[in-house]
Amino acid sequence: MRFLLSSILLILVSCGSYPKKQNFKEVTSEKVEIYNPYFSDSTKDYVYKADIKVFKNSFSGIFIVKKLSEARHRIVFTTELGNKLFDFEFQQENFKINQILPEMDKKVLINVLKRDFFALIEEKPFAINSYSKDDLRMSESELLGKKHYYLFVKGALERIVRTANGKEKVTFLFSGINDNIASEIQILHHGIKLEIKLKAL
Amino acid sequence: MNRLLYLLFLVCTTSFAQTQMNNTEATELQSKVKSLAETTKTITADFVQYKHLDFLSDDIVSTGKLSFKSPDLVKWAYVKPFEYSVLFKDDMLYINNEGKKNEVDIGSNKMFKQLNKLISSSVTGDMFNTEEFNISYFNKGSDTEVHFSPKDKKFAKYIKEFHILFNADAEVSEVKMIEPSNDYTHIVFSNRLTNQNLSDAVFAQ
Repeated sequence: MRFLLSSILLILVSCGSYPKKQNFKEVTSEKVEIYNPYFSDSTKDYVYKADIKVFKNSFSGIFIVKKLSEARHRIVFTTELGNKLFDFEFQQENFKINQILPEMDKKVLINVLKRDFFALIEEKPFAINSYSKDDLRMSESELLGKKHYYLFVKGALERIVRTANGKEKVTFLFSGINDNIASEIQILHHGIKLEIKLKAL
Repeated sequence: MNRLLYLLFLVCTTSFAQTQMNNTEATELQSKVKSLAETTKTITADFVQYKHLDFLSDDIVSTGKLSFKSPDLVKWAYVKPFEYSVLFKDDMLYINNEGKKNEVDIGSNKMFKQLNKLISSSVTGDMFNTEEFNISYFNKGSDTEVHFSPKDKKFAKYIKEFHILFNADAEVSEVKMIEPSNDYTHIVFSNRLTNQNLSDAVFAQ
């Protein structure tokens, strides 16, 4: 009986939404918009040094993002020596592979990268719900069919969290923010051993 | 009329700037490069790398130092805007990424190995290999630009052409790797020193 009760309790707790687990309260009074400014300026070349840890391997390269026009982004990854490893393009949610190294041409990997990069570049995701706690604001949206929570600290986007069943799956951290540029970005996967660290050049 | 003049000007300057070499001149360059290579034991040079992607507003610029030791030890050490070096040794790549060492060869570097082989070869003088490349020679003032387009179809999928610029002394002064998309990596060498004593530590892993 006690086991049953604690099981029910556990289920109730684990079913709680991500913001509620973080003690955020739902905001119902105002219409909230989400804005991710970090790859939004089409006059800028966004160039980052990337360090990637995947399972026990680590490698690095140059990560390049360019906003070509409204809702159209090009994402290219090269080695330090200049060889292209992949060249992707987003037109809103539509994803196109311009070029990829045969060794990287794996469906699973491409899907992971596609989801991660879409979360980086999507500027105005639709806010389904919004929550607040002190001077923190959290907004819920859906990207490519998955729940994402946007955390704003004093108005600045510091974190995006992708969840499944209320649990964090992937965390995007933005820091060193100045003039709508995040000088450091981390993409941390919790389910698989994958870590992407980007440092603005 | 203005347009016509401009066009004429353009045609003239391009044809002045780059004319195809005749066979005698090409053979002469080949033997010059070869004899220089035979006496070259070490090279150090500074380099500036321009990565050109058509969709970007500016090229991505990085700088560093190249070290070469005959017959085929080559190290590229980037200094700015990041510290990164890659040493080609015994068909391996030894990477030092801001202090973190790695020996992992991610496949793409295969083509850089090829380029590297090409640069090493240009020093040893036996790069004018018509089995591997279609080769054409151009005069550029006192310099010579040689275009190598790979015959191997797999390789050609990554690199459309290599352009190597030789100065009047038959030294490699610039290298350009052009991708099939016409994006390219352009490397310009300066402060070249040959046959200086180069410590083995430079090529330690």
